[in-house]
Amino acid sequence: MARVVLQVNELTTRYITRFRENIYAVDHVSLKVEEGKSLGIAGESGCGKSTLALSLMGYYFAPLHYTSGEIIINDHNITGMDPDEVRKTILGTEISYIPQAAMNALNPTRRVINFIEDVIQAHLPEVSKKEIYELARERFELLGLPAEVLQKYPVELSGGMKQRTVIATSVILSPKVLVADEPSSALDVTSQKMVIKMVMDLMDKGIVKALVFITHELPLLYNVTDDIMVMYAGQVVEKGTAEEMVFDPIHPYTRALMGSIIVPESGLRNVKLTAIPGTPPNLKNPPSGCRFAERCKYVRPECRVTTVNLNEIGNGRAYRCIIPEEDLRRMYKSEQQK
Amino acid sequence: MKGYRDYFLKKLGWFILTVVVAFTLNFILPRLMPGDPVAAIVARMAQGMSNATGVQAVYEQYTRLFATDQPILNQYVIYLRNVLNGDFGYSISQYPRTVADVIGSSIWWTIALQLPAIIVGWVIGNTLGALAAYVRKGFDKVLLPISIFLSNLPAFGMAIILLVIFAVHLKWFPTSGGYAYEMVPNLSWEFVWSVIVHYQLPFWSIVLITIGGQAIGMRSMAIYELNADYVKYARFLGIKDNKIIRYVFRNAMLPQITGLALSIGTMVSGALVAEIIFNYPGLGSTILSAVLGGDYPLISAATLIITFMALVAFFVLEIIYGLIDPRIKAAQSE
Amino acid sequence: MVGFGIFSAIVLTVLIYPLFIDDPPLGIISRGTFLAPGIYVNVYDSVNFTPRYTLIEDEAAARRINSQLKPEDRVAMQEWLVGAGVPEAEINTEDTAALLDLWHSRFDPTVRIPGMTNADRNYYIRLTASLDGLLAAEGAIVAAPNETTGALEQRGLIEQTDYVNIGEVPNFRILPLGTDNFGRDVLTELVSATGVSLTIGFVAGIVATTIGLLLGLFSGYMGGLIDDIIVFITNLFTVIPSFVLLILISFSIGQEQRGPVTIAIVIGLTSWVWTARAVRGQVISLRNRDHVNLSKLSGHSVLYILAMDILPYIASYVVMALILQISSGILAEAGLSILGLGPRTTEVPTLGLMMNWSMIYQAHILGKWWAYFPVILTIALITFSMNLMNTGLDRVFNPTLRG
Repeated sequence: MARVVLQVNELTTRYITRFRENIYAVDHVSLKVEEGKSLGIAGESGCGKSTLALSLMGYYFAPLHYTSGEIIINDHNITGMDPDEVRKTILGTEISYIPQAAMNALNPTRRVINFIEDVIQAHLPEVSKKEIYELARERFELLGLPAEVLQKYPVELSGGMKQRTVIATSVILSPKVLVADEPSSALDVTSQKMVIKMVMDLMDKGIVKALVFITHELPLLYNVTDDIMVMYAGQVVEKGTAEEMVFDPIHPYTRALMGSIIVPESGLRNVKLTAIPGTPPNLKNPPSGCRFAERCKYVRPECRVTTVNLNEIGNGRAYRCIIPEEDLRRMYKSEQQK
Repeated sequence: MKGYRDYFLKKLGWFILTVVVAFTLNFILPRLMPGDPVAAIVARMAQGMSNATGVQAVYEQYTRLFATDQPILNQYVIYLRNVLNGDFGYSISQYPRTVADVIGSSIWWTIALQLPAIIVGWVIGNTLGALAAYVRKGFDKVLLPISIFLSNLPAFGMAIILLVIFAVHLKWFPTSGGYAYEMVPNLSWEFVWSVIVHYQLPFWSIVLITIGGQAIGMRSMAIYELNADYVKYARFLGIKDNKIIRYVFRNAMLPQITGLALSIGTMVSGALVAEIIFNYPGLGSTILSAVLGGDYPLISAATLIITFMALVAFFVLEIIYGLIDPRIKAAQSE
Repeated sequence: MVGFGIFSAIVLTVLIYPLFIDDPPLGIISRGTFLAPGIYVNVYDSVNFTPRYTLIEDEAAARRINSQLKPEDRVAMQEWLVGAGVPEAEINTEDTAALLDLWHSRFDPTVRIPGMTNADRNYYIRLTASLDGLLAAEGAIVAAPNETTGALEQRGLIEQTDYVNIGEVPNFRILPLGTDNFGRDVLTELVSATGVSLTIGFVAGIVATTIGLLLGLFSGYMGGLIDDIIVFITNLFTVIPSFVLLILISFSIGQEQRGPVTIAIVIGLTSWVWTARAVRGQVISLRNRDHVNLSKLSGHSVLYILAMDILPYIASYVVMALILQISSGILAEAGLSILGLGPRTTEVPTLGLMMNWSMIYQAHILGKWWAYFPVILTIALITFSMNLMNTGLDRVFNPTLRG
């Protein structure tokens, strides 16, 4: 049983609007990532996955507030840790973050190497600039980036180059966990491939021990991550291994997501393409029953009124629906045969 | 720094070009008006002067100066040559002083007043704006309305307010002049002190108005930068806030310098009017008396000088910007 | 929308006021300069023609005395008396009758008190003269020469308790803002001047916005050489201070030509730069939008595209720019007029001209605040309300700024 590097227990975080309303963007989410493994988080925009990423860093800025739950990174329980300590000992060294649009993530008036100096010196002030340069050069070359990049200003780099520079910078201190928030979404296809390759390289080369990969593109996750978790309206609706999630989805939402992509796998050729009608619920006043009920094809009257909990069915598999899994699978099968 | 050299040369070329255009405008505009400019000048002069030989002498000088009997291109060259020699002709309203003399004595007062005032105002304004953006809370709520109010006042409005409150009612400062009227300029301590005292009100009028405008601009820029993505990213990597703040303000300042360069024209005009209100012996009052006295050569020369100074200021600011923004050097060297 | 309210109030005042008071704004109504604000009652009428009423006022006498003999005067008198050798214990500044008695018996203008200047002496002489009859109990006599003998004989008596009803006095004038240095009613002048300044600002604003709009449209949309040329010219005019150009042009035109409209046009001609640049920026960001490309593909002419596809999107922007240009036009006119290069001074006043007059005649130093302060206030109100309107419009057009 491999070591658990990232563990999140029933994390709840909320946004407080200017009218003092609470929006629970992350609602009792639990997850676990073992050493050497990667977890993909998928869902529509607004489902809370980006907020989850921010919350994982343990660094809360108004209007985002921590509410309850635990976050344990590499055996450090950062729940309730003093923010300054989090900054010094956790951020960048235990867990790091790759932002969504890397285009703007770098300070336009600072050279790459200077920025790296800032990052390293914020944690290890004794390291000399020369040592930093050596480390940076080594690391960059290891990841396929030429050393000249270090001397440049962000404006001189292309989009894909910038993203890869950001990735390399994020892991310069070899954090145990890396959270990548849609790292490839803003790029052209060729650059996307390079970025993904780089992220996977990080795992292979052992620079990071665990990876959390957030995206709205499900097909990506099948090739990149070991496990997949699907979120909807702030809650986890299903989780399991990549194989299970893609070929044997249980929750109707997961299935609908699968049905809305084109997969060349022969086994799925019969799955009809469907867009998911409707929009996610307003999280200011979440519906009392199942949050997916409005858009669910298989909705029953009880769905709207009963509180639906996560069903753990063993081996890390879980889904959130009051309909038993056998019934769901049966319904899916009969559809496929039509 | 090859990149920078290119930038510098480009800006220098632009500077020279604008000077030429300004000069040409200064030359052409009056001559576009119908009528003989010299005769018009003489007609106005004749009202103010009682000395017939004086009038004659000035008339002759002006015919020579303007060479109205020669084709326009020659006139241009002659004018150019005269200007470069510092010969602007005689002042009509202050005959027999030459225009160069009149301007020479007032230009230093103006520079000594406006240059430090604009700089001080800019520095204070930007600092306050930056603080407001960073600290927010109460400080911001106080600063913002004040700045809005200040920036809406015309320059002379502020001048008059200060004048009335501090000079007329509280009698802390004198109401006019550059120095006590009974003194003659010299290097004694009394004179210097008198100058300093007279300097205060005009100085602070310009400073306060500048603060208003700058504070608002800087505050918006700083707020914008503080919410920029690179700030969040730097935070996530564990970089301390003070370091981040330093870079945010540096980035926010860059457009402010450009803004300053672009608004030099307005600031200078505002400052000139403020000078007039205080009867301060600078170019503002010179122009006023020139207008009242129909002194065309003085006005023409004064406007030329003011334009030139503004252009120089603009040029200097652009150069400074090129030195501070590291992207300029980098971009040019590709 | 507060700004809009203020602004409309101003405009309404300008329009309605002349309906009530139709004196020419530059008509001279007083001799002497800088009359303070107040209600000016014709004394001749009140003495001769108006019915008189008796009002019983206990404090009337005391008030009369106090207005002539202020506390500072009493102290001054005491100083003089002490200087003249009167023991301080005998002087009671509170007891007016005793003080005046003492004064009348002791005051001698020829006595030299050490430390007293000539000016002080004149002050005391004036003071004494003004105290004449202060404590008298009888009224004032109105006399006129007898038609036959030519000697003065008493025709009437004005009791100290006589009052007139202002409403019955045929001639009185309310001057809420007093008069300026020429003797003109400041309030009427101000209202008229505001109207003129607003007009000038409006015309200048329209001219500047039109030029800026056209240049910006063409430069932004066409790109290429036209763009380069226009940008070049724009940059030139940015750096050369427009105010200086204004001075030059204004002066060159000469006094006779400078009507308010001419000035407005000149101001407009020199201040289009900011608008042109802003419009150009907007147009550039719009010109590659889908609907524009669609129009292009459909073969519509450039003018059509500009009018139908681009103009509506920048309309909000243009309106705000117009407001800004109007307010800066008003300020520019004020600045010009202060220099003496504004519109002709003989027909209509403008806000700037009023400032100019008050300054040349040293109103601010003399403490005649009514000659310049209301003007500044008006200018500030106008610019302030316009800026508020602009911010308000910004919120309307740009919902992201709301709340």
